[in-house]
Amino acid sequence: MSMVSATSASTGLSRPASGPAIVWRQLRAFRILLPFVALVGVWWAIYASADFSPQVLVSPLAVWRAFVNLVTHGVMAEYASTSLRMIGFATALSLIVGVPIGFAVGVNRYAAHTLESFLRFLQGISGIAWLPLAIIWFGFSHTTTLVIVIYTLIVPIIFNTMIGVRAIPETYTLALRSLGASRLRLVRDVYLPGALPSIVVGLRLGMGYGWRALIAAEMLVRQGGLGDLIFGARTFGQIDRIMTGMIVIGCLYIVVDRLIVQPIENLTVAHWGALRQ
Amino acid sequence: MSIATIPPGPAGHPQARRTLHQVVWRLLPLAPFAFVVLAWAAYWTIAQPTAATLPAVHDVVAAVWDLAAKGELATHVLASLWRLLLGALLGILTGVIGGFVVGLNRSVSAFLSPLIVFFNAISGIVWLPLVIGWLGIGTALAVFLIWNTVFFIVFQNTVLGVQLVPQVFEQGVQALGGGRWETIRSVILPGALPYILTGVRSGLGFGWRALIAAELVGATTGLGQMIFGATEFHRSDIIIGGCLIIGTIAMAMDRWLLLPIERRTIERWGLVFDATKEK
Repeated sequence: MSMVSATSASTGLSRPASGPAIVWRQLRAFRILLPFVALVGVWWAIYASADFSPQVLVSPLAVWRAFVNLVTHGVMAEYASTSLRMIGFATALSLIVGVPIGFAVGVNRYAAHTLESFLRFLQGISGIAWLPLAIIWFGFSHTTTLVIVIYTLIVPIIFNTMIGVRAIPETYTLALRSLGASRLRLVRDVYLPGALPSIVVGLRLGMGYGWRALIAAEMLVRQGGLGDLIFGARTFGQIDRIMTGMIVIGCLYIVVDRLIVQPIENLTVAHWGALRQ
Repeated sequence: MSIATIPPGPAGHPQARRTLHQVVWRLLPLAPFAFVVLAWAAYWTIAQPTAATLPAVHDVVAAVWDLAAKGELATHVLASLWRLLLGALLGILTGVIGGFVVGLNRSVSAFLSPLIVFFNAISGIVWLPLVIGWLGIGTALAVFLIWNTVFFIVFQNTVLGVQLVPQVFEQGVQALGGGRWETIRSVILPGALPYILTGVRSGLGFGWRALIAAELVGATTGLGQMIFGATEFHRSDIIIGGCLIIGTIAMAMDRWLLLPIERRTIERWGLVFDATKEK
């Protein structure tokens, strides 16, 4: 995903936290919440303006009650942890397996050329398209969901690792090899740092695809997870539960993206970005 | 992605060697496909799995041929492409216009940006359970999901592109007496175009996925419905054939439609960015 979130170019105050700075910081935190407050206001106004059936639209208050209800009964924690465990495991596995494959393919010009089109083709078949076949093979189980999510994540990671390795100027490799560096040393000192920005791009794309594939797969496999929560609520027309689930999905994705993927990205660009220029 | 460069052929018999080398180089990308088909055929001959688990290669070809002959395949493909076209056009149109309005106005973009981040995080399939109650099953649902997916990606990229156009260029036009409209037309639009097109390309990638996912449950026609309907009858041949068609369409779209457009734009307008880099 070569897009960067369009955050405002607000100038950060680097002064030590004195009185006015704290107030200012609180104001800034409020500024992030302000559009959401406005949105809830509009939502409430629409809700109050006409007589909606509870199957079509519910008030923000009802959603809040559903949220509290789901949280206090521990239901939300169970569904959310199922989804998070799934994406966490799939991401870890895809990185552990995908990056070495990407290196192995990327270092060889012929291997990279041979596999490029094939990987592009696989990337074109979205993970969710394999779901029907996976259901036949593994039934309505966690395995099915996991296979789909790993497939969705690993293909962009392999592809982008390969592209990243190919983009490293050969001079670096030759320089190290002429000094007698081993293969392992090359991976550690050239391939990994050189390809890291590209790997992170692949990871981000994979997470974007993978998280959605996870939700979609959970909707159809119905073995727990947030997708199951919102799709199951549809059967009973529980709009409040659906909206609660959507909000939780959005928040979790932002948390995962901001707290894990973006720091890695910032770190790699800060450290290794110069290599790409 | 400069992988596709032809390496210099080995010295020796220059002409013949080089031609042979080029032919092999061209054919290499087909090798993985051939390998998979061969491995599949070999496994099928040795292990003899049931047709529901893994159909034979020729069964898949026959199933696709059969669907094509009955005209069903065309119906499904056209239904999917029509939804993609509608949803993507709507998404690009609203995304670009919205992106310009917001991108040109810093306080509005600062205000809206948290909302955009949030809605981008739930774009696409997450809306399905809610919107299925509003729009019912069918084209409207799929178009909404694609619009939703494409819009946020195009919108974010447009805002970014508009905001990244160096002010020097805007001031240049203004100094020559150009108005607001003239500035947008001759500086901001071309400057933002590469970003917009990157957004379109990545948006269509997500949109195509959202479409297939939406069609699995929320449609009566379309490629997604074709493969999901086949699950019930354990028709793996149709599922695999459908997956291959989905991949082929996605790859063809990216390679022959989006990549050339993007490349041409960057060639045409990319200079803008070189100028900024040199500073």
